[in-house]
Amino acid sequence: MLDIKNLHVAVGGKEILKGLTLSLQPGQVHAIMGPNGSGKSTLSYVLAGRAGYDITEGSITYNGEDLSALKPEERAAKGVFLAMQYPVEIPGVTTMTFLKTALNAQRRARGEPDLDAIGVLKLVRAKAKTLNVSEEMLKRPLNVGFSGGEKKRLEILQMAVFEPKLAILDETDSGLDIDALRLVAEGVNALRDPSRAMLVITHYQRLLDYIVPDRIHVLAGGRIVAEGGKELALELEAKGYEHIVKVPA
Amino acid sequence: MTGITALGLPEARRNEAAALFRARGVPHRRIEDWKYSDLKSALGEGGIGAAVAQWQILHQPDGVELFDLTQSNPPEWVLANFARTTANTMSAASLALSKGGVALRVPKGVCITNPLKLDFTAAGHVRALLVLEDGASLTLVEGVGPGHFRNVGFEFVLGEASVLEHVRVSPDAGEAVLVEEMSVRIGAGGQYRAHFAAFGSKLSRMEVEITLAGAGAQAHLSGVALLDGKRHSDVTTHVIHAVGNTHSTQLFKHVAGGNSRAVYQGKVTVAQGANGSDSNQSAKALLLGENAEADLKPELEIFADDVKCAHGAAVGDLDAESLFYLRARGIPEAEARGLLLHAFLEDAVAEISNTDQRELVRTELLTALKAMA
Repeated sequence: MLDIKNLHVAVGGKEILKGLTLSLQPGQVHAIMGPNGSGKSTLSYVLAGRAGYDITEGSITYNGEDLSALKPEERAAKGVFLAMQYPVEIPGVTTMTFLKTALNAQRRARGEPDLDAIGVLKLVRAKAKTLNVSEEMLKRPLNVGFSGGEKKRLEILQMAVFEPKLAILDETDSGLDIDALRLVAEGVNALRDPSRAMLVITHYQRLLDYIVPDRIHVLAGGRIVAEGGKELALELEAKGYEHIVKVPA
Repeated sequence: MTGITALGLPEARRNEAAALFRARGVPHRRIEDWKYSDLKSALGEGGIGAAVAQWQILHQPDGVELFDLTQSNPPEWVLANFARTTANTMSAASLALSKGGVALRVPKGVCITNPLKLDFTAAGHVRALLVLEDGASLTLVEGVGPGHFRNVGFEFVLGEASVLEHVRVSPDAGEAVLVEEMSVRIGAGGQYRAHFAAFGSKLSRMEVEITLAGAGAQAHLSGVALLDGKRHSDVTTHVIHAVGNTHSTQLFKHVAGGNSRAVYQGKVTVAQGANGSDSNQSAKALLLGENAEADLKPELEIFADDVKCAHGAAVGDLDAESLFYLRARGIPEAEARGLLLHAFLEDAVAEISNTDQRELVRTELLTALKAMA
């Protein structure tokens, strides 16, 4: 589903990713772990298509297509979803209006008919319940005044509503207490599906206690420097990154 | 009282206004107040002319009295309120030159629920007067029709505990040059709530001078401007807290694209002894291109001791992070920009209390945003 080959990415002329190779199949959950500044967020942004992240070498292929040639909105319509580390606050747009606009934009791009307001409301309500997202939250302006936990829950709610094929979770655990973390992880696990691939990006092993990955890649200095099964996370937690990673200069 | 003209105006006052205008001439950019709106150069050779612009009542609800200012024998309420002395140059010009206009009154204690709809059209000068007597209430919907150069002098007199909501929508008027001077006087406990939505023209300027003349008087001004191409829109306000325990708020949101220019100049004066005055002023502008310009100039002039005054202004561009967020959720760029612009303007639109009018302004904005995308 996702094939990243020898990916080099520069931000503002500075090379951050220096030859990253990664392959992800449907139904799989892979984790990317790495210390601060290793290029984790750069990877998530370049997959989602944020401006200013220039691919200088290598390729990203998504379902046989060159992902880098697509606009962010085209990627979303084709099933790429990035749960962001810092979801933005947008005063003046209610959460419900945003969800409806985004869902219908994706449907339109895929040639599917729009869902009417009632249809969207029903869909969102059903998914919101399990994630403990209240009606009141849906009426508020998008992310405005939301706590860290509420913002992350809303990201996962979007994932549930948009039903992406490839979900990238960027530091979804950051800023969450243990209860919020459990709730978010349960939401993510409920979306594990044989047709869906997930890339879980995290600094800490903690999240991976709840979202157990099929494979772990350790990112350092812009490259994958170690790979292994779920036990690799425990080793990193016990011994720290420096022990495993010989950070390239 | 001798020498009453067809406008119900003592000859002496008309001469006084004419003398004031002659002394000052057509305002231009070297006059501080007109720095961002060069009326003289926009008018060119033609100058301000002496034509008579038209007014038109599209809906006159029961209970609103009307007097055509070209008629003779003006009633007492017109004589008592019309053409108070003004120091405003263009208002003086409209007084000196206008041969037409309308006076409207809502009598004491009368509350009108249906909006009064008043349009100004054609080129030239025109005067208007709206009197709300004590305890009266009204919604005024002002329309701005076509006309190459029009100068409207509009006076408002709000009695004690009266309430006026004023909504003015000024559609994209292309090459037109439009100026309007409003002078609003608010008695004790009276409330003036105004919203100005502007889509600009070659030069559009609206000046509002508000005097909070009695304790408990309130003025709440809000407005949006959405400009593209070479449009210009200038809102210049002056709120005077003449007595204490008066309250004013201002919230203006402007979006300027293309080569357009959005201007907000807002002065708040708190007079000596006007303790307990409370004023809040906020103006924000978004620039959509390198050639667009926004000039925001909030100003405070305080002569009293115990007051609460806040003001702020900010010019920025569309937040790149928000735009990316929306696009990453599948919303195409043009639609995402429209959504963010609409969101930016929304809190100023939300200030309109009349539901129908609020929806109307929203719809106008959405249509214009689509056209800009």
